[in-house]
This record gives sequence, structure tokens and C-alpha cells, in this order.
Amino acid sequence: MSEKMKNRILPLVMALFIGGMCLVSVFTPDKEYSNAERRRLAEMPELSVETLMNGSFMKDFESYTMDQFPLRETFRSIKASAELSLFGKKTVNGYYAVEESISKLEYPMNTQMLNNAVNKFDYLYETYLLPENIKPYLVMVPDKNYYLAENNGYLSMDYGELFSYVTEAAPYMKNIKIEDLLSAEDYYLTDTHWRQEKIIDVAERIAEQMGTKLCDSYVENKLKEPFYGVYFYQSALGSSPDELIYLTSDVLDKCIVTYYDYGTPKEGDLYNLKKAAGNDAYEIFLSGSAPIVSIENPEALTSKELIIFRDSFGSSLAPLLVSGYEKITLVDIRYVQSSSVGEFVDFADCDVLFLYSTMLLNNSGALR
Amino acid sequence: MLFSSIPFLFYFLPVTLLVYYLAPEKCKNFILLIASLIFYGWGEPRFVFALLGATILGFLFGLLIGKFEGTKWSLVFLLLSVSSSVGLLLYFKLGTFFPIGVSFYTFQLLSYTIDVYRKEVKPQKNFVILATYVSMFPQLIAGPIVRYQDIEMQLFSRKLHFSNISEGIRRFVLGLGKKVLIANALGELCEIFRASNEKSVAFFWLYAVSFMLHIYFDFSGYSDMAIGLGKMLGFDFLENFNYPYISRSIAEFWRRWHISLGSWFRDYVYIPLGGNRVSKARWIFNIAVVWFLTGFWHGAAWNFIVWGMMFAVLLLLEKLVYGEWLKKSKVFSHAYVLLMVLLSFVIFNATDLREAADYIAAMFGFGAYPLISDEFVFYLKNFGMLLLVGTIGATPLPARLMGWMKGRASLEKGVNLLEISGLLVLFVLVTAYLVDGSFNPFLYFRF
Repeated sequence: MSEKMKNRILPLVMALFIGGMCLVSVFTPDKEYSNAERRRLAEMPELSVETLMNGSFMKDFESYTMDQFPLRETFRSIKASAELSLFGKKTVNGYYAVEESISKLEYPMNTQMLNNAVNKFDYLYETYLLPENIKPYLVMVPDKNYYLAENNGYLSMDYGELFSYVTEAAPYMKNIKIEDLLSAEDYYLTDTHWRQEKIIDVAERIAEQMGTKLCDSYVENKLKEPFYGVYFYQSALGSSPDELIYLTSDVLDKCIVTYYDYGTPKEGDLYNLKKAAGNDAYEIFLSGSAPIVSIENPEALTSKELIIFRDSFGSSLAPLLVSGYEKITLVDIRYVQSSSVGEFVDFADCDVLFLYSTMLLNNSGALR
Repeated sequence: MLFSSIPFLFYFLPVTLLVYYLAPEKCKNFILLIASLIFYGWGEPRFVFALLGATILGFLFGLLIGKFEGTKWSLVFLLLSVSSSVGLLLYFKLGTFFPIGVSFYTFQLLSYTIDVYRKEVKPQKNFVILATYVSMFPQLIAGPIVRYQDIEMQLFSRKLHFSNISEGIRRFVLGLGKKVLIANALGELCEIFRASNEKSVAFFWLYAVSFMLHIYFDFSGYSDMAIGLGKMLGFDFLENFNYPYISRSIAEFWRRWHISLGSWFRDYVYIPLGGNRVSKARWIFNIAVVWFLTGFWHGAAWNFIVWGMMFAVLLLLEKLVYGEWLKKSKVFSHAYVLLMVLLSFVIFNATDLREAADYIAAMFGFGAYPLISDEFVFYLKNFGMLLLVGTIGATPLPARLMGWMKGRASLEKGVNLLEISGLLVLFVLVTAYLVDGSFNPFLYFRF
């Protein structure tokens, strides 16, 4: 191609690309929601003298154009590929993949956040447990990085230090260690969470340490929809989808599950299969985020009750503890104020377990 | 508005160019002026008034200086013009809010009125033309500092050729790539370092090198984009960078770094003070004044003043002590320039002098830091390729390779095809980074 020809073709090619994307962007109907990012997308901002003069129109317009850009997910994947292949980066926006398992760097240890979590635990202990003379249990669920990061050359928190820090800061809790029972394969490839079918031994150890025996045998049920976890979309790194398996049993089938959203009790399912086709299939476990949920076991051979302060890891674990208790109540203080918990939960003569992932402890700002 | 943003690349630029190209010749300046005001007002609309106010003053003083040419009133109006421009700059530099680009457009206005006084240019009687010159969006907010006399003719008449437009696109896309793919990523590494609780001696050095490359790719990338946009609009702006990191003396470095600022201070401060054709003491004073002002131009903070004065000292040492000796060793002279510039940018980027001193001390082992840390190793691996690309990209090697290939008749056709596809791929990559990313500030907007 001659220089003269190049000088004519280059502007044409660029004009076609820029003009084409501009026109597609203008004439494509706006999307309201991004399944990939699980958030509402920015809408065209209101144009007025006020929004122009205070600059909010320009700021919001920029967000709008980025959110509504044509082929947005394709461009995000292109960026991820360029970062890894072209620039040899080991992480993309903090995400990395080991074989097909995607994770996000959890580094460094944030003592301020750990203190915040422990302060919340202190409050719950002093307000509800100490008057009832209850000694609670603590399970810290190692996040995926515990098994993936350091071994593969990624920055890793000193988890031993984190475990010690929390146990020393909350000496009133009996710590139940579970990290030796898990491995990277026990977590979904594309998600933060553990697989329910892989944590039966974890449930048994917790029950044993709390002086309870579990007596249930489970049937594996596979969701027919592929499971694309939260990391799949956030990272744009690409991976095979996971299979999501949930466990059922005669005992679990007869459980009565009550959700206390906004304080009003409402019966629901242990596994909410309507969520299977939603944005986050992991939400089939106890319907995802909920402030207070109780699971009653009419087949129980005991009158013991368990109260679990938990994050989302508890949603898939709690059903596996059901056979050891008459009732389990799960409290998520990300969605209910710690000071309001007493209005809904009676702690008398209950076992109490704090079950939190290291990821949440290290980012505990959402605890209320 | 940022060049490296979706609204600019996919809305503002195509619409502006389309209207500009289709408009008749006599309307082009007006269209460019309106587009530039929209561009400037996009971030902070109220600062458009400061820009227009400064331009009106420059316009009126230019007319008055011309009208009273040869009389003492001409000097009075020049002094009023200089005072108002410098006053405006000082007001913003020392104040709590700072309109982007004010350092650049006040210097352009100063050069205009001084040149009118010196009879190097005629006063512009058409406000639209002068306002177009001052506010022209390619170079309005981060330079290069374009002098009126350099583009006076082009403001009246300019020819748009495919060759100019094509060259403009090439420069613009390369600048965009430098900014978005390299500068932003290295800036991110600098931010990671600053937030790190696991610093080490090696990590301090990694930070210093990263910032040195970051500021070069950020600022020279912007200059490339400005020059490229200028070409697309029919203007030829002077170069602002010429591979400064290959210099063998600090004097040479400043002939290659931010050329438009260096030459501005030379022509409007250093030479009027007498330059080097004065006594040694006066010459040292002149050097000190120029570099104090250069530092202050970057910000009313001590680290900028020390940064500027550091160059004054180095330049004097080169002239008076070791300048000749530097010429004898290629390796040493390159290492000397790189080390001095590296340290200068640590001072430049520090939040205060205390931090600058702490960082430099830490780099030489005078801090309570280990030699190496896990974070350093990880981030060196993570950014290693980018640092390598940046290091090679800061030298003339890629341009020489391209020139060599183009010089071969047998390769020319393939190279041209490669150039088009390469630029398109680069632009698609930049788009991908912009759609995904949010770390995108331009460093020189704050000056």
C-alpha cells in the first residue's frame, strides 16, 4: 500500500470505527441492568441549566456513556486478555486465575477492619450472650486465596496472623479451626463461595466441637443451569461455568424455613430454586441475603437450638447442621442492626456460633 | 474533558471534526472556539468565565500596546497586561481552587502581549481569532505552550490534507496509547506503592522508576495527542518532547523535556534578564530566577521550588565544574542524568519536603526498611513487562525501527498496512481500557 493510499485509508478506517460505535451507542436502546456486574447501569442524566452549571450532567454523562457502551463485555474481555497476554500481568483489576479457578487478591490484612468486626462481636456478646452466660463458638472460613494465592506466587495475607488476631481480640469465643478440612477444589471455580457438597466434614467438625451429633445422609441434586459465579463476570478472565449441587435429605425436606424480612415472618424454602435462573445462583441457599432466617426441624431428636451470626458462607452450611438441632436461627448483621437483633431472637439456652469468612472479616465495613 | 475518555473520543471529537470539516473556511475558527469552550467548560463550567476574562484582557492590552506603539504608554499597557496575567496565575496558584490549564493559557497570553510589544507580531483585531488561539482545545489544558507567532498565519488560513489528517490520527492514537496503556498502569503502581504497608528499599526504587516513566508517558502522551489533534484541525504545533531520558546532561534534558516551557522561560525571562552575557554573579542570579519560576509554575509548594532549584544547581555545576568531564563518558553521563532526574521526580511527586527527604533517604538505605519485600517481588513481576515496554518506548528505538522499515522499498507497502492495522488495534485496546477502567487522571492538569 502506498503512502498516499495509507493517508486516505487510515482516516476512513478510524472514522468508520469511531462513527460506527458512536451511532450504535446512540441508537441502541439503553440497558437498565448489568447481569454481569449485578448492578443498575447509569441512565442518561437530566439536562438542565442547574445540572450543567454544577457539573453533575457531565459527570453522569461520562458514567452513562461508559455503562451503555456497545459490546461493553467484549471490550472488558479484550482488556483482560491484553493485560495478561500483552503486558504479562498476573492480575487484572486484582483478579487472577489459577487454572480455571478465579479469585481476587485479598491483601493486605486490614487490622482496622478486623477491629471493627471484633467490636461488633463484642457488642453482641455483651448485650445478648453474657447475660445468658453463653460462651459462643467462632469459625473463620478461609477465603479461596488461603489455598490459591501464596502457592501460586500471588500476594497473600498472613492468615495465621489474622486467625490469631481475631481469636486474641475475642477471647470469650471458642475457636473451631476448619482450614485443614478444605482445599481450593472445595470452592466454586467462578465464585467466592464453598461448595455445599464439599463441606459435610466441616459441618461435622463444627457440630462435634459444639457437642452435637449430626445424623443425616444427603442426596446430591444438580442445578440444570450452569453456574456463573460473581468472579466470572467481575474479572472478565473467562472460565468454564461451575455445576451447582445442593444437598437434600428426608430431614431437610421436612424443615420449616421462616424469613424475617422487615420483621414480618414469612415461610419460604430451604433451597429457593427460583433463584437458579437469577443473577446469582448461589442465592438458592436460603434465598441469598436475608437479615434473619430460622430453620425448624420437626424430626429433631433434641431440643437444642443454635443461633448463627453469619455471612453468605453460612447459607450453604446451615442446612448441614439442621439434623443436630431443633431450630437454627441465622442472623446476618449486614442487613439488621446489632441493637435490633434481640427483638427477634431469644438467646436463652442456645448454642451460638459466629461464622464469618476471612474476606468479610478483612472488609467488615458492612457489619451494622 | 479528558482526551482519554469515552465522551471525548466517541461523541465530542467525531461531532466536532465533522462540523469543522463541513463548515466553510471563514466559519472554522468560530466553530473551533465554540467547541473549545464546550470542551473546557465540560469539567468546571464556571472556569470558562476566567478563561474568557483573561482572553478579553489579553485582547484589549494587545490592541492598546499596538495603538500606543513607540510611546511609554505601550510599556505601561504591557506591564498592566503582564501584571494581570501573572496576578491571575498567582491568585489561582495560591488560592483554594485551580482552574485546569490556567498556567498554560496565561503563558500563551503573556507571550502574545510581549510579542506585540516587541513588534514581533501585530495586535490581533479580531477577538474570535485571538480567543480561538488561546482556548484551542487540543493544547488548552496541558500544553504544549503554543506561541501566537508560531501559528499566527495558520489562524487565518490553513489547508487540510489527507496527509496531515492521517499523521494527526497517528500521533493522536500513539499518544492515547502512551497515556492509557502505559502511563495509567504505571500511575496505578505508584498508588499501590504509596498505599503499601510493606515498603522496602527495592520497592522505593521501583516506585521512583515507575513515576519517572509514568510522568513521561503521561505528559508526552498528552503532547502527542495535542499535536495530533492540531494536525487534524490543520495546525502545526511545535514538538514538546524529544526523548529526554537519553540525554547526557541536565542542560540537554531540558532541551528535550517540556520544550515549550523551557523555551518560554528562556525567551521571556532568561534572555530579558541578560542571559549569560552578564557578570558571573548576575548570570547565576538569572539562572536561579528562571528555575525558581519554573518550580513555582508547577505549584506553590516547597517541593516544586526545591525541584526547580535542584536543576538550577545542576546546570550551574555542569557549566562551572563537570560539564566537560561528562562528555568523556557516555555510560556515566547517561547514568548521571537518569539518577538526577529520577531523584528530582521523587521530590516533584512528594506531598511535602519531609516526604521527599524520607523517600530519598529510604532509597539509599537510610530508613527502617528491609532491602526487599514480598510486595516488591510481586509487583515487579506484575508490572515488569510494562516497565520494559515503557523503558524501550522512552528511547528512539521504536521510531528508528519504523523509520528503517519504511526506508526499505520492499517493506514500505507492508509497513503501511501494518501501521493502519496497528493503530486500529491500539485504538480498540484503548477503548477496552477506558470502558473497563476508572484510573485516568492527567498529571499535568494540575499545573
